[in-house]
Amino acid sequence: MSEKEVVILGVAVSKFGRVTGRPNKEFALEVGRNALKDAGIDYRDIQIGFAAHCHQPLGTGTDVFGELGITGIPITNVEVACASQTRSVLLAAELIAAGAYDTAMVIGIEKLPRGMVPIGGDAADYSYEGRMGLVSAPGDFALEANHHMHLYGTKREHFAKAAEKAHRNGSLNPNATYQDVYTLDEIMSSRMIAEPITMLMCSANADGCTATIVCSKEKARQYTSNPMVLCGWSAGSPLYVKGEKSLGTAPFELLGEKAYEVAGVGPKDIEVAQVHDAFSPLEVFFCEDLGFCPRGEGGPFVWEGNTEINGTIPINTDGGLVSCGHPIGATGGRMIYELALQLRGQAGQRQVKGGKVNTALLINEGLGGANVMIFKR
Amino acid sequence: MSSSEQRKKRVAVKSGLYKVANAPGERDYLYGSRCRACGTYFYPQRGYCAHCFSEDLEEVALSERGEVWSYTTVTQTYPGAVLTGPFVMASVELPEEVWVDTLLTDVDPESVKIGTPVEIYFFKVSEDEEREVVAFGFRPVAS
Repeated sequence: MSEKEVVILGVAVSKFGRVTGRPNKEFALEVGRNALKDAGIDYRDIQIGFAAHCHQPLGTGTDVFGELGITGIPITNVEVACASQTRSVLLAAELIAAGAYDTAMVIGIEKLPRGMVPIGGDAADYSYEGRMGLVSAPGDFALEANHHMHLYGTKREHFAKAAEKAHRNGSLNPNATYQDVYTLDEIMSSRMIAEPITMLMCSANADGCTATIVCSKEKARQYTSNPMVLCGWSAGSPLYVKGEKSLGTAPFELLGEKAYEVAGVGPKDIEVAQVHDAFSPLEVFFCEDLGFCPRGEGGPFVWEGNTEINGTIPINTDGGLVSCGHPIGATGGRMIYELALQLRGQAGQRQVKGGKVNTALLINEGLGGANVMIFKR
Repeated sequence: MSSSEQRKKRVAVKSGLYKVANAPGERDYLYGSRCRACGTYFYPQRGYCAHCFSEDLEEVALSERGEVWSYTTVTQTYPGAVLTGPFVMASVELPEEVWVDTLLTDVDPESVKIGTPVEIYFFKVSEDEEREVVAFGFRPVAS
């Protein structure tokens, strides 16, 4: 099967943080316009749109795209919890690869209340665990973290180190919600959320908007001579394996392997990565799942500085979810944005490898799904 | 037990996971599914086998004892939840190779260990004039 090659033509993000009172339309106009400018494309040339969000009103897709133009294109709302934006980009990529369209635009948008993210829905659908108070995102990952510590001797300090680095990188990112630097001690002694996860190891709810322009490589020649090619990807949902405790998201290791295979690269080829650190232990887990280090060695791997901006595999150079904040449906677009800056050599103080970056990877996961993307330039 | 208490109907927090006794000879127990085709167990119960896709599943009582797979402390819960923090939550692995997310009690949060043998128990979380609402927790097996 001959498929068209797919590129990321343009990217944009808003500053993440509290913007209560700002209408979605205004958010989308600013960020959408910036993405179109970045791509050098007019909205009239966008052929299909996806709006990624989880807690916005009905009709949000047409509302936010409507600010940019009213051109009659199909616009679809997509929800895969925290992985909504990258799933939207992959849906666009698959349609473009298949030849159905040449250009697509994804707008991720979210405004969230403070504190715990509301569940919503009919009480009849609440689980026993939900009714009891046994369900929480930090709780679920804390179970994983404690199990990892038990199996491999991973220490609390290892998780805290990922948070310390995230906050330090975030201090270099003007779009991050939080730009303060913390010591390891401050992180470990901040309020306990779910042992061993403390408050400064958690991503906080944020408001934010991101946009990504996806294009066939063929069509992209009109706009750029050096596009960011989406050369491999994979998407998944929970996978039942007899005798194994099921993850509520997706089989990360398998998804990584699949994306590597499609891209024709391996973990050693990745020069910069974005991983979904909704809680800092996830950076440790993803180093193993994605093959950056052997299974069980993620803790020491992070602790020794391998994931620093000047490390062997810089991870979350923009501060990740922990520092940037987490506008659920928009987060993936922030990950793509940072990798675009890194691949273009435009990341300023956060730039890795002196601006000479050819291969980058991201994993964006959420309740019910995960997406891996590999980019080349 | 007074006669008024005897008349109260005992009900689960949510149906489909555990039975609560309401008549002499009945007992409280956690249940799931067993696939008659391949023998795989599931909790909670399923209509199709997630392993072999057979539709031939039977309802079975699950073991009362298992081991702590992992645990954490919960400090905050959603408004309206039965439990409010802090408490210890655990994922308990039963011999049927199913995992149960549960409240874990009678443990010191500082010294609870993965692999600790635990057993299920049932307790009243609330009641009104007619009903008594029952949940389950796990606690270390008395040595």
